[in-house]
Amino acid sequence: MNEENIVEIKDLRKSFDKGKVTALNGIDLEIKKGEFVSITGPSGSGKSTLLNMIGALDRSDEGFINVAGYDLTLKNDLSEFRSREIGFIFQLHNLIPNLSVLENVEIPLFERNLSGKEMRERALKLLEYMGLSDKVNRKPTELSGGERQRVAIARALANEPSIILADEPTGSLDSKNGQLILEHLKELHEKEKVTLIMVTHDMNVASLANRTIEVLDGRIKT
Amino acid sequence: MSFISLIVKNPFRNKTRSILAVIGIAIGIATIVALGIVTDGLKSSTEDTLKAGGSDFTVMESNISDMLFSSIDEGYVDKIMETDGVEDAVGVLTAVQPIGDNPYFIIIGIDPAKLYLSEMEITSGSAFSSEDAKELIMGKIAAENLNKTVGDSLTLNNTDYKIVGIYQTGNLQQDGGVFMSLDNAQEIQGEEGKVTMIYVKIEKDANVEQITQSIEDKYGNDLTTVASLEDLQSVDQGLSVIDTASWAISLLAIVIGGVGVINTMIMSVYERTREIGVLKAVGWKNRRILSMILGESVVLTLFAGVVGIVMGVVAIQVILAMGMSGIIEPVYSLDVFLRGFLVALIVGLVGGFYPAYRASNLPPTEALRYE
Repeated sequence: MNEENIVEIKDLRKSFDKGKVTALNGIDLEIKKGEFVSITGPSGSGKSTLLNMIGALDRSDEGFINVAGYDLTLKNDLSEFRSREIGFIFQLHNLIPNLSVLENVEIPLFERNLSGKEMRERALKLLEYMGLSDKVNRKPTELSGGERQRVAIARALANEPSIILADEPTGSLDSKNGQLILEHLKELHEKEKVTLIMVTHDMNVASLANRTIEVLDGRIKT
Repeated sequence: MSFISLIVKNPFRNKTRSILAVIGIAIGIATIVALGIVTDGLKSSTEDTLKAGGSDFTVMESNISDMLFSSIDEGYVDKIMETDGVEDAVGVLTAVQPIGDNPYFIIIGIDPAKLYLSEMEITSGSAFSSEDAKELIMGKIAAENLNKTVGDSLTLNNTDYKIVGIYQTGNLQQDGGVFMSLDNAQEIQGEEGKVTMIYVKIEKDANVEQITQSIEDKYGNDLTTVASLEDLQSVDQGLSVIDTASWAISLLAIVIGGVGVINTMIMSVYERTREIGVLKAVGWKNRRILSMILGESVVLTLFAGVVGIVMGVVAIQVILAMGMSGIIEPVYSLDVFLRGFLVALIVGLVGGFYPAYRASNLPPTEALRYE
């Protein structure tokens, strides 16, 4: 594996429904450390499946996939990989409603053997970074859509991941809040040098990335 | 936030469902606790009866299903007295007669000369004087319940007996009844020449096991010896039946409570499928998710355990207040409360395991797609 690459994928294949539905049909892809890559394509093209494969949320049927030095085709328990290397941002914030903003950001830190004080300090720092210091004790239902997504970004950053995977992060936001989230992600990429891989169907959003990959019928369009 | 505080918070997200589940389990626990309190009281009272007058063991009829059904020839009292190592023996006839609202009013017939063996305290009046006198002494609880005092009379089997004294032994069964001469009790019951049991006191350095064995060897066809509550349970099916019923109800509470917990926790897991997907996405291991759901289940049932124990104690107090204080002698032992908690814990673990296992094995992508 090339040391500059954080993601290396060769001939990756994945199908669902006992092979009746082909989601990925021989994907070859390399992503360098610190890159901001957007993945576009029509609905059902396989872009979210590809993102899930990179984040080890799903397993491939065939092919090779190595992310941050982890061979994802070999390891059985990939929870440690997800905990150490990946930060997910979903279209819907997916925050836990009965927990405060601060507690939601602490959730990923349970697997890191930190003390309660360390968890709290790290979560507070991230919420300050996301401009939510005054909302730490609020419940997610008391926040606007944009604020909730900023909490979700803080949660994704909690474990200091090497890769952020964002699946339509502005999909459920109005244009103003969507723009704000994109600015946060762009700043994150530029300041923290984190690798950012974002799935979107919006070409304007995709254009913010250093590189855009288009997926069509389970393959990367060249 | 600690993992424990997360586990404690989660079960009460849907308050109505959780409270209903808690009530369902708590009723089972309350039944176990209330039954345990009554059963322990009965055992304690029975044990007191067995050891009445500081006797070392009791002799009763062999092959009976309940100690109250025991009936042995009075002549055995002298035979037991002749056994090596026996210091004293007294035959008593124990029977029940319906008095007022109480269908189980206890009558104890005893030789007036041996009344001292009952270690009772005469709080007013005096003991009955002879075998023939139509006299009795009444327990303090019975006197309170029947509103009787020294000088009043009590009609038993169409005969008036004068109350010559009020006594207290500390034993609910005895204090809720009367003592009278053995002859009078035999006459009332139509059991002339019969006693229910023989209390035996042994000499200071004598060995109880040797003496009971000697009696069993000699009179084993007619008599059996009971030196402890455990001995009694092997001959008295009444206590065994109560014990078995108590455990059967506990088992039933576990099954019913367990099904309720499975239902509650499965609903909770269904509702939180996406959330579980997120927890997996942020790196939670399967065993942490399993621990969380199992922990939530145990928190729910232990809370139900506390509620159930309080409900059980309150139920006993209500029953006592309804006029059963002369019949039930509650014993609030730690053992009963621990049994309630143990059942709650088992229900939590058994009922929570399947939902927890299911949640921990959810594929992350499926969980995240769940609507």
